[in-house]
Amino acid sequence: MSLNIVVNHDKDKNLWVFVPEGEIDIYTSSKLKKEVLYNFENNKADILIDGKQLNYIDSTGLGALISILKRLKENEYKIYLSNLRPNIRKIFDITELDKLFIIRGEDSE
Amino acid sequence: MNRDRIYLQIPKKPDFISLVRLTSSGIAYTMSLNVDDIEDIKVSIGEACVNSLMLNNEDEISLLFELDDNKLSIGVSGVREIIPEELEERKERELGLLIIKSLMDEVVFNEDGIRMIKYIEDDN
Repeated sequence: MSLNIVVNHDKDKNLWVFVPEGEIDIYTSSKLKKEVLYNFENNKADILIDGKQLNYIDSTGLGALISILKRLKENEYKIYLSNLRPNIRKIFDITELDKLFIIRGEDSE
Repeated sequence: MNRDRIYLQIPKKPDFISLVRLTSSGIAYTMSLNVDDIEDIKVSIGEACVNSLMLNNEDEISLLFELDDNKLSIGVSGVREIIPEELEERKERELGLLIIKSLMDEVVFNEDGIRMIKYIEDDN
């Protein structure tokens, strides 16, 4: 039970793509926040978090995503979420964070 | 009434919360709960443990699983419904409680912590 993060920078779209593999929980959420913001500070661009390999997220993980969102907004950049599995999409629905984040492939974009 | 009890105690460290989630899924699976309910239990117990870890001063978190024919009840020690105003992660903790209350069928707070219940539906 851990978290691996695959990082890519799409030069054509000037977009950071992060693919978290595993679980974003109290043990791993600070790793996600550090990794994403480190890359963002080095090269400012919009960010896509692709949830295709994400199995689980808890409230500390949501907190990490909210911190990332705030930092990007201060710099007038956007964060997108995509390919969220139904169990994770449900957590965004319950917490109404689906209204705060742009979830790709849905009407909210 | 067929009530079996399982006790689990973990050190108050983030390292062991995934173990609790895994154990809970296993227990729920043996009770023939459906996949969605098992996921709800796993998420809720994870949130309860995070709450206890952040808001309680004990060295350990104690869990009690009570297995009935028609329901699974889970008690987690040290979980608090009232989040201190000054806590930096206050918003996160409130999200955690919201998730638990949304996913479980019954949630009761008492002086020891929290008790959460998931009922087993007939169509499982």
